[in-house]
Order: sequence, then structure tokens, then C-alpha cells
Amino acid sequence: MDRVSIVHENFLRRVAAGDFPEGAGPCGTLSDAQAVSIYRSACLSRALDRVSRTMQSRGQGFYTIGSSGHEAMAAVAAALSPKDMAFLHYRDAAFQIERSKQVPGQSIAWDMLLSFACSSEDPISGGRHKVLGSKALNIPPQTSTISSHLPKAVGAAYSIGAARRNRPEHCVLDDDAIVICSFGDASANHSTAQGAFNTAQWTSYQSSPLPLLFVCEDNGIGISTKTPAGWIAATFAARESLEYFSANGLDIYDTYDAASEAAEFVRKRRKPAFLHLSMVRLYGHAGADLATSYLPRAEVEAQEANDPLLHTVRLLDEAGALEHEEALQIYLESEARVERVAAHAEKRPRLQTAEQVMASLIPPKRECAPSNGPDAAARKAMLADDAKAMGSPQIMSRLINFALADLMLEHEEIVLMGEDVGRKGGVYGVTQKLSKRFGRARVIDTLLDEQSILGLGIGMAHNGFLPMPEIQFLAYLHNAEDQLRGEAATLPFFSNGQFTNPMVVRIAGLGYQKGFGGHFHNDNSVAVLRDIPGLILACPSNGSDAAKMLRECVRLAREEQRLVVFLEPIALYPMRDLHEQGDGLWLQTYPDPSERIGFGEIGQHGEGKDLAIVTFGNGTYHSCQAQKQLEDSGIATRVIDLRWLSPLPEQAMLEATKDCAHVLVVDETRRTGGIAEALMALCAENGVTSLARHTAEDSFIATGPAYGATMPSSDSILAAAKGLIEAGS
Amino acid sequence: MKRAVVICPGRGTYNKAELGYLARHFPDSELLAEFDDQRRAKGQETVCALDGAERFSMAKHTRGDNASALIFASSLGDFLSIDREQIEIVAVTGNSMGWYTTLACAGAVSAGDGFRIANTMGTLMQENLVGGQLVYPFVDEDWRIDLSRRMEVLAAIEEIQAKPDAQLFISIELGGMLVLAGDDAGLKAFEEAVEPVQDRFPLRLANHAAFHTPLVEHVSRMGRDALPVSLFQNPAIPMIDGRGSIWWPHACDMDALHDYTLRTQVVETYDFSHAVRIAAQEFAPDLFIVAGPGNTLGGAVAQSLIMANWDELDSKQAFQAHQASASPILASMGLEEQRANVCG
Repeated sequence: MDRVSIVHENFLRRVAAGDFPEGAGPCGTLSDAQAVSIYRSACLSRALDRVSRTMQSRGQGFYTIGSSGHEAMAAVAAALSPKDMAFLHYRDAAFQIERSKQVPGQSIAWDMLLSFACSSEDPISGGRHKVLGSKALNIPPQTSTISSHLPKAVGAAYSIGAARRNRPEHCVLDDDAIVICSFGDASANHSTAQGAFNTAQWTSYQSSPLPLLFVCEDNGIGISTKTPAGWIAATFAARESLEYFSANGLDIYDTYDAASEAAEFVRKRRKPAFLHLSMVRLYGHAGADLATSYLPRAEVEAQEANDPLLHTVRLLDEAGALEHEEALQIYLESEARVERVAAHAEKRPRLQTAEQVMASLIPPKRECAPSNGPDAAARKAMLADDAKAMGSPQIMSRLINFALADLMLEHEEIVLMGEDVGRKGGVYGVTQKLSKRFGRARVIDTLLDEQSILGLGIGMAHNGFLPMPEIQFLAYLHNAEDQLRGEAATLPFFSNGQFTNPMVVRIAGLGYQKGFGGHFHNDNSVAVLRDIPGLILACPSNGSDAAKMLRECVRLAREEQRLVVFLEPIALYPMRDLHEQGDGLWLQTYPDPSERIGFGEIGQHGEGKDLAIVTFGNGTYHSCQAQKQLEDSGIATRVIDLRWLSPLPEQAMLEATKDCAHVLVVDETRRTGGIAEALMALCAENGVTSLARHTAEDSFIATGPAYGATMPSSDSILAAAKGLIEAGS
Repeated sequence: MKRAVVICPGRGTYNKAELGYLARHFPDSELLAEFDDQRRAKGQETVCALDGAERFSMAKHTRGDNASALIFASSLGDFLSIDREQIEIVAVTGNSMGWYTTLACAGAVSAGDGFRIANTMGTLMQENLVGGQLVYPFVDEDWRIDLSRRMEVLAAIEEIQAKPDAQLFISIELGGMLVLAGDDAGLKAFEEAVEPVQDRFPLRLANHAAFHTPLVEHVSRMGRDALPVSLFQNPAIPMIDGRGSIWWPHACDMDALHDYTLRTQVVETYDFSHAVRIAAQEFAPDLFIVAGPGNTLGGAVAQSLIMANWDELDSKQAFQAHQASASPILASMGLEEQRANVCG
């Protein structure tokens, strides 16, 4: 007999016989009705676990990671309010079920079974994935198995305090709400989780409000690897600025009281707390996992003997809330009911086509209150010390700074966060004066942890802010990239567009800083950003474009709820001259705040038809240098600045090159996995015959004189262009 | 054994054809006598007398103080007549005052206290009559949903609500119908604003008040004063309320149940359509039994199931075909032949 059936049979036999595991008696504040409600949620959760397996065996269900053993999470839900946004562990069906009773009119069994069946009518993911989650219940969906949802929980908790001072138009959390975030004992060790704990502590340590309740569901094992006995308590019980609470997660009375106490602490003190619940895991990790293959049978049986449902029946009986015969009846009725509902749910339609699956990659647009822009007098007063500079040619970093100031002035929901963005004004001065102008609440100097920076942004976006997190250098993104790939970009997808986290992530990057920094300050790879569905990657090549594109990026995030990365070429921040010292040809005047460059709109320098150089970022600069020499050689050249690197403006690029004899792709990213690969394929597929690429080598960037040796230069572009034309003539 | 959800009807279901319904069907004469004792004690005509009247009187039988008592008793009698050897009742729900009957059927109040609640609230409504109700459909005769018409209706309501001297609210979501309630100005404004359809809509409901709206807040207050929380207990059968929330046995908070019954559902929209949807999706019964009196609620139940796309019921034709099959999904106890299928 399989373990699922064994646990089931044990329950039936032992309850009927009144044979219960030993434990403390019921005590505390839980009322009889609440206790039975929690038990009912636990029974429904258990029944769903069992029926998910029978659905799978019929070929009608597609997910079997269950919540069995973790049913006390229903007691945690009972101690909280639906106002409290919940980022849940995947074993928390009982939490969601109990919360569904706090919001009128929910069809929780039906909804969960649609989810098991991957029906397109599944109200949270639209049939894309089995996730816990519900818009009505304030539970954004998580698929995380590695605690990657913890950083954004920190961000969402931080947003509550921020919204008290500056309530954004699309704010969803009340001032007295808290955030709850649950996870297993194994994933508590993950560096992402540890980063989130640390950030919460670091934040609270300096008295910033952070109403966040971490809930660690400690079943003592992560798939097959045991958590050392006592490890969670040993490592969390005495952390600075993280209040520790614990309870026996087999005892709903104890769990409810501890959760209530912890929630009250978080709500009243606006400080983070860590609730440690001891639990058991029944049935192994997931459907196909056999716990007896790596644990002694006696140990598995000992866990099963401590089935929390048995403890709950005992406690209810002892409390006089429910006799054990009645409890057995509820268990049986729940299972019969779930089977009946499942028979209907599995008949509902499923997604079939790529188009249907992809329909929620891009979130829906949202209504924003119309604005006539900032009050002219207020703008003049705030920007007075830049007024003169705004009217004269400036370097790119200054123009981005001006654009940020205008955007923040117009949209109060914009919040900047990053390392050194506040007091210092950014490593390259891009955010100078913004902290002084808009306050430290809107320009947040974060701790040194990119996962936390992005998590702060994602979490604040959940509560209606428009975050603009800054990653100081492109190479620093990589330790945190999953926050964009696995979290921010997937949220609309897994919630069928119901939850969104629009933001504009500014990243300073790419190469060509003359001898400064080497690879880690000159990373020239964007491959990791280009294959994330739904993410927009923008890269300007000059100050005027940067200002106008940044405005479009903010519009895309604010109005269309898009996730945007704005990649700023560091080497072009201070660039003044193009061809010779003092020509000032790369300086630009600040464009009027009304001007934008539309998403997908490309730039073009020159009208030449002999050669089109297709490029972006620093490549545009170097190609424009080469362009002059090519023109001098009689080769009429145009330089196409793509501006938008993902999705590529394919049609615009093809249109702009169709009357050119030759096309040279200049790509400062690497030959392998670089943008040129996509552009070459696109051109080839569209019949461009005289075509070549000139890319960076598959190398890291060197420090010192060879800083540019592996990347295209104006000379090498010139040579590549001439080579292409000669070959094609 | 068939599993069924029982649905208790609201006002307007005891009409001329129902005269004598209690005499014909009520299975427990002692209980009926208890109801009559309550009526006598309040100086009201007994339900037996009303039911046994020679002629149906619109003015008398549809008055709130009389109609509520007659309908409650008829529905509860029908519930008690269901053959429990053959039919397992997995949940009970109701429309409008059918919530009071639901409480009694499910055991959340005793039959006598259920009667007390229904009779008291019906009487209070009659004594403090304010506003009225009308019905307007957003489906055609074939129950095809016309969402644009629904949007027009909602827009008309919003427009009327904005007027300083008119009040209009959605009183009940009743399948393909909206029951609107308001003051006379609000109802008149609506009647002038919308196109008459199907020869009878918008249709005013005689002797009805502005149920399920803030206009009857004072009645709710009086009800809470008159009917203590001690009347309530845990139900034996799950109940689905007018928001689609489920009240589970052993798990009900009595203060919450009292508050919902005598405040929330009295002054807020009663979403019967959602209650039916939840009954289907959360209990997946083999059968929906509409208790009598009358059989007018069957259409709204069917329309609600179609709107929920339940069990491949996507049209009136599909529903009728299902009804004609060996296992119909709906049994109306107000119809003799269907009643026979659920009574022993």
C-alpha cells in the first residue's frame, strides 16, 4: 500500500478507535467554531492532496506536491486578515482554504481543482501552472521552491510604511496591513532567503517600519536531506531585529496563539518576526518521491503516527468542540465532496495553443489618473539650479538625471533604490540631487545586495509604487538575475495578468571605460536579459535619446505594467566628443519633457545606401566615428541605432535597411549569445544577402590598456565594413 | 442515494395557485400548530387560516406579514417532506427571505425560531414599508445573456443613484433577472429610462419593499433588537448565504451568523445567482431541489447554472434536454410531478 493510503487508513482506523497520538491538551484563545473551521480546512486540504493523485492517475491532474503534514497553516491564516498580503510556500493549501472563509463568496475547492486540472478556467493562473494564489484573497502566486519569493515579501512589507507617507494611486495594502511570507526549513538556508532575512533585520535595525511575518514550516527535511535537529531554532532564535516565535505545528491551538502573538507584534511594532512551526511531512516530497527509499521505514511511520489531523481530532475532542465521530464524518464528507467536484472540474477546458499560453506574458494596461505634468512653478523652483544646464548641451549622465527629476516630479509613485543612489547620487552621478529634492523615502540607499534591491522593487510594485531600482554595474545583476527571470517576469504569466510588478530597472553597464574596472565594471553580456519573456530591454546611445527613452520606459511600466530594463552604457555617460577633441558632437540638449521615443522606434544617422551598420549603445558611437571615414572613402553609410534590444524592433530594422546594398551588424556584446546572432538570423531569414557581423570576442574584459581589445572599435568597424563591401562586390 | 442542494424561495411565491398548499403538503401538524400559536400570540391571522381561505386575496396574502409566514411554512414543510432515505441533502440555500427558511432547514435555528424570524422580519417590513421592487431581465426569452443590456441597466442605475432625489439599488441578482429596489422616484426613473421588454418588464412587485438595500436599515435595526443571537446555533447541514459564503456545521460564529442574517443580507444586495453557483461548484450535487411554494424560482436557478456553465449547461435548450433526461438536475416541489420524484 502506498504511503498516501497508509496515512488515510491510519486516520480512519485510529479516529474510529479513539486512538490518538499523545500531546498537550487544548489551551489558549482559539474558539470552538474557529478550531472546527481550521479542522475543516485541514480536511479539505488533505482531501485535495489525495484527489490530486487520483486525478493524476486518470491523466486529468498534473501536480501532486501536497500540503499534508502542514495543515496547521490554516491556524496561521485564521490569525491573520485577508488584508495581509501572503507570499506562500507551496505546501500552504490549508492557509489559502482557511483564508477563503474570510472573504465572502469563494469557491475554494472548485478553484483548486481547476488548478490541479490545469483548466483555463483556473482563476489564478488560467491553467498555466498549479500555483496557490488568489487575487480576492490577496495571495500573489508563487512557484518558488528556493525561497526566491522572500526578497519581494520584504519589499512589499517596506511598501506599507512608504505608502503611509506617500500613497500611490494603485496602492492595494492598508496602512495597518502586514505581509506574511512562508517557506520550508530547507529553503531557509538558501542564500536568497538569508539575504531577505538580513535585509529585513538591517532595515528594522535602523527603525524603518517593516511589518513582515516570516513563517518557517519546519518539517525537518528538504526532499531527502535532513535539516540538522534544532538548526532552525539555533540559527533564528536570537537574531538581531528579528523577533522569534515558535509553536508546535501539530497543535492548532498552540499554532494559532503563536501566530496571533507574532502577528500582533508585527502589526503593532511594525517590525519583522520569525514564526517557527515544527511539522511533519507526509507522503514524501511529491508524487513520485518515496521517502522510504532514503529514510528508515520506522522514521517514516513515526512521522505518520504524528499526523496533525489526528492531533487536531484529539484536541477538538478534548476541548469539547467536536466529538471524534463527528470529526471522522467531516473528513469523509470532505473527501467525497472533493471527488464529486473533481469529476466536474476535470471536464473544464484546458489551454491548447501557444497563443493561449502566452496570452498573459504581457500584463494588461491599467488606467492611470490623467496628469498635466508638474506645476510649472514648482518645477522651476525645484530645478532652479539646473535651469541653465537644461538649456545647454550636456553629457548623457546629466540628461538622464534631468529626466529622472522630471519623472519623479510628475509621478509621485516613482521610488528609486540602489547602492549609493541617495546621498552620493550614484557612482557616476546619475542620481545626484534627487535625494535632496525628493527625500530619502523616494531615493533609497540600500544595503549591498542586488537580490534585495530587486526584491524591494518587486515588492513595492505589488503595492502600486513605480520602482526604479538601480543595479550599479551589469556584472552585479547576475547574482540577482532570478529576481527578474523567475519572479518579476513570471508574475503576470502565473496570475493571468491579475498581479503585476511594473518597474524600470536601471543598470549601468557595457564596456569601453578607458582602462577602468576590468570585467566587473565593464560586463558586455546581455544574453541573460534577452530571453526573458515579457521583459523589455532598452539601451540608449546618447543623452537626448536616453531622456526620451526613459520617459517611454516609465510610461510602459506605469500605464502598461511592463517590466523594463534600461541599460545605460557607462562609457557614454561622460562622452562629449565624437570625432575629435572639443567637437562636442556627443553632447545633447535636454529634450522637452513632452518628448518621448516610442517603444520599438529605432534611430538612424545618415541616409547612405551603400552600407547600413546596425548597432546599439557604444556600437552606435563607434559606428558613427567609422561612418565619417567610410563616407570619406566614398561609401555612403547609415547607422541604425536599435535602441530596443528585447524584443528587437525587427520590422523597423528591416525597413530601415531594405534599400541598402550591404548590412553590417556591429555588436559590442559577445559573439556567442550576443545580439548579433539574432540580427544575423533575422536578416538571413529576410533575404539580406550581403551581410556580416562584427562582435566582441567571447572573452571577459581586461583592465588597463587592453580594455577595448576584445570589442569593436571604430577602426575595426571600418575594416569590417570595407571587408564586407569588397566581399560583396 | 442522490445528493441534493435544497433551495428555499423568497417572497412572491405564494399566489393564487398555492392556496391550500400547507393543507396539501405540510407534513407536521404539531409544528404548524406551533407556528399558528406564534401568530395568535401576536394577534395575527394564523397561517392555517390564511392557507385555508376560500379565496386568494392579493391584498392579504401577499402582504409582508402574511406572505413571509406562508412562504416560510410552505418551504420548510417541503424540506421536511423530502425522502431522506433516497436523497442526501448536502447543502441548503435560499433566495431573499428564503435565507430565513434556509436557517431552519439546516438547523441553524429551530423550526419555531425560524418561523419567528421570518414572521418578525416580514411583519417589520410591512409595518415600516419603504420603497418597492421591480424586475428587469438581461436575458431574452431563450435565456441568452445580453451583457450589453446588463451594462445598460447598471449604467441606468448609476445615473439614477447620482440624482439627489432618487434612490435605486440592485436588490437581488436573480439568474437572468435583476431585482431592483428603491424609492418611488428611483423606480419610476428606471421605468422611464429602459426599454420595455417581453411585454411585462420592468415589472413592479406588488406589496414588496426595498429589500436588501440601505433603505431598510431601520428594519434591520429593529430586527436585531427583536431577535437575539441566542436563537442561533450551529447548523447540521452547510448553508450558502446570499453572498455565496458557506456556513459550515460546528464552525459558525453565532454573532457573525446573527449579524449576517439581520443586518448584512437585509441591507446589501442578495446575490442568489452566486449562491447557486457556489452550491454547484462546491457541492457538485446530482440534483437541485427548489422547495415550494410556487415554481417561479426554477428559471432563476437554471439561468444561474447556465451562467456558471455548470455541467455543460450552456443554454436553455441544454437545460431542457437535461431536464427531459432520466436524471433531471432540477426538481421543483411546487410542481406535482417533480415533487413526486423527491418525496417518499
